[in-house]
Amino acid sequence: MEGNTHSRDLLRKIKEITLWILDNLSQGRSPLIGIQRFRTYCTDLGSNCNCSSIKPNGHEILTFQKESHVHRIDVLLRVLLIVQQLLQENKHGSKRDIYYMHPSVFSDQSVVDRAINDICILLQCSRHNLNVVSVGNGLVMGWLRFFEGGRKFDCINSPNTAYTIPVLVEEVKDIVSVAQYILVVEKESVFQRLANDQFCSKNRCIVITGRGYPDVPTRRFLRLIVEQLCLPVYCLVDCDPYGFDILATYRFGSMQMAYDAKFLRVPQIQWLGAFPSDSDYYGLPKQCLLPLTTEDKRKTEAMLLRCYLHQEKPDWRLELELLLQRGVKFEIEALSVHSLSFLSDVYIPSKIKEGTYICHI
Amino acid sequence: MNVSSVQKLCIHLISSAFQRCRLSEGLCRLSVVLKSLPASTTPMVRVSISDTGIGCCLEEFQDLKYTREGIGTEKWGISDNEIYNYHLNLRESVSARRLTRLPSNPKNGAKFSGTEVCLFISDTIEALLAEINHFFQKMLILKIPTVAAELVIEKGDTPGLRCENVFLTNECSSLHFSTSNIERLKSGLEEYVLKHGNTLSDKCDACFSSREQLKIGSGVACSMESHRSSGLTMEAVIAISELSEFPCFRSCGSKTEVLHFKDFSPCPVSQTSLNALTSIDWRSYGLALGSIVDQGKYKTQPDRHLIKKAVKLAFDDLKEKHAGLLLSAHAVKICSYAPDLASTIAGLILTSDDPEFQSECVSILGLKQYEEIGVEMIEDCIKKKIISVIETNDKKPEKCKEAAAFLFEDDCPQEPIYFDEEYEEGEDFLNSPD
Repeated sequence: MEGNTHSRDLLRKIKEITLWILDNLSQGRSPLIGIQRFRTYCTDLGSNCNCSSIKPNGHEILTFQKESHVHRIDVLLRVLLIVQQLLQENKHGSKRDIYYMHPSVFSDQSVVDRAINDICILLQCSRHNLNVVSVGNGLVMGWLRFFEGGRKFDCINSPNTAYTIPVLVEEVKDIVSVAQYILVVEKESVFQRLANDQFCSKNRCIVITGRGYPDVPTRRFLRLIVEQLCLPVYCLVDCDPYGFDILATYRFGSMQMAYDAKFLRVPQIQWLGAFPSDSDYYGLPKQCLLPLTTEDKRKTEAMLLRCYLHQEKPDWRLELELLLQRGVKFEIEALSVHSLSFLSDVYIPSKIKEGTYICHI
Repeated sequence: MNVSSVQKLCIHLISSAFQRCRLSEGLCRLSVVLKSLPASTTPMVRVSISDTGIGCCLEEFQDLKYTREGIGTEKWGISDNEIYNYHLNLRESVSARRLTRLPSNPKNGAKFSGTEVCLFISDTIEALLAEINHFFQKMLILKIPTVAAELVIEKGDTPGLRCENVFLTNECSSLHFSTSNIERLKSGLEEYVLKHGNTLSDKCDACFSSREQLKIGSGVACSMESHRSSGLTMEAVIAISELSEFPCFRSCGSKTEVLHFKDFSPCPVSQTSLNALTSIDWRSYGLALGSIVDQGKYKTQPDRHLIKKAVKLAFDDLKEKHAGLLLSAHAVKICSYAPDLASTIAGLILTSDDPEFQSECVSILGLKQYEEIGVEMIEDCIKKKIISVIETNDKKPEKCKEAAAFLFEDDCPQEPIYFDEEYEEGEDFLNSPD
């Protein structure tokens, strides 16, 4: 029922937009469409920014007077028309579906994505409210059971079997768990490693992976179970700039979905590893350490300027600086140099037990 | 002015005659008589240029390669008691001996003024005629109200071989003596175009079935008087005729003719003027400069900024008066989106499941409710409105920045507005599978 109210509300807003455009045109005025700008971080370290509050940071105004704007307005209105139809018919479509409705006009998926973001900002809603869904990319396993749209996800039955995280997260209910913590891993390969090692049989936990940069359903799902189960959350990423960025995405949200970051970020997440110092502590041989490329260094330097690493997580910043200083990176898999199951048997359990992870205060 | 040819000499003399007529406050007559002299073996033409203007003095003949030494600089006028006669021998190499004063004629108390210059030229009438005709056709553009000019050609002594062209400013025009120069120029240029360079006595009906096909704009730019220069005024008039075909062999096709006048006399376009015209941002009028056909060099340096300003004012005047004319290239591009935008907005209306909303939209668009309103009608209506908005915005962009309503005004934040559309270099922007 809640979905229907929301839909009606959005449909009303879409009609208001149409009326407003017609009104302006009839009075000989170009409609000016103001789209608020959001960001999850800035690099202006001197000021007291309020990035963490995820409030809008200025406007951009689209008018009929600039050619680039007119194209963007054209795309926005076409997507809006499609969304109106999805909501009226109570159907769902993926971003890719929408792209294929006018591929010559849209020219690229990113054009559609931007329009969807603009519409979310205009209508002040989340993407799933528009009945626009994405293909799910995340995996979950462990001591968890839930329902989604009538289907039962009984992970407890087979805790080392991967299940696809559902896309319609708003349909997830009746979450039951006996886990003691949630572990988020960056890569599918690590997820499979843990599955093969029967990690969840020996450890009462839930393991999730976004298979790289996490998509929206994965993030929403993680946030949902964190809120409902109130369990600690640990994140295991490669010791390199991209791993760190993925960690930051879980923790702070992404720039692209900045307008929705409040509902997508997981402030409770803690950085389990791998730290630059782990390579010494766990005796990784030099062959496992790869030099940072120019691109790696550039990315790390750019990330170091993010305001939240100064204001909220200075301890994370110190580790990142260490990464840059040492000039080397390594993957989680490098920890298998001692034994294949080193990760599952030693590394993760000992870190969690000893508490050698960086946590927020 | 070094007279490079006999034709140019004649033109110069006729031009001076016009200036004298302008100076005079009453109506003046200007006559050019070309008489061929059959008696000699080589063709000879007697050219007589006479006018009833004032202010003639020998200074104007000083340019014809002789010095002023020993010659007074008095200007003759209507109050003089005598008619002064002079003989100027251009072939005389000693400059002091070129000008011979001849006995004067008394006026016997009558009050009149005028000048007559007679030349004997070894050439045919036809050689001179084209240039002189051309000159008169251009002078007609200026519509100098006080001058009645005539061109008479006598090919022999018998009266039958005499023909006359009388060039009067248009008898039926609505101009009167107090009309400004710029209005005269507009009227004159209009007729020049309608009559294909004033070669016809009336407008060409083949090309112009209605006068409305011609669009005229004008602009005036002035520079202030300063210690360096007395104030200058530049007046520009632009005529655009939009003919899809060129039925008449006389029409100039797709060329743009540029006519330049300095001090009420036609003169070729100078390099400075050419540079000024080339530097105009033609794209803002939806035009592109093609090739330039140069018609000769002219040394005077008119004020480049003044020319550019006057021409731009004339273009802006045209845009102001005619909606959709001279749309900038930029606006034309934006207009190309109009059909798609209209179609989408129409779609938002027609696919809605709310009939009240639909009738409200139809009402805002000004379409009648009780009629059968189809998709095409709504799309067309919206498209026209969008194009109209774009055209209006294109006219004078600085003046059209009104404070427009924001969508969802209560949410409008008070922070400064950012127009920079580029996000920061967000690494995750590209990598995220969102």
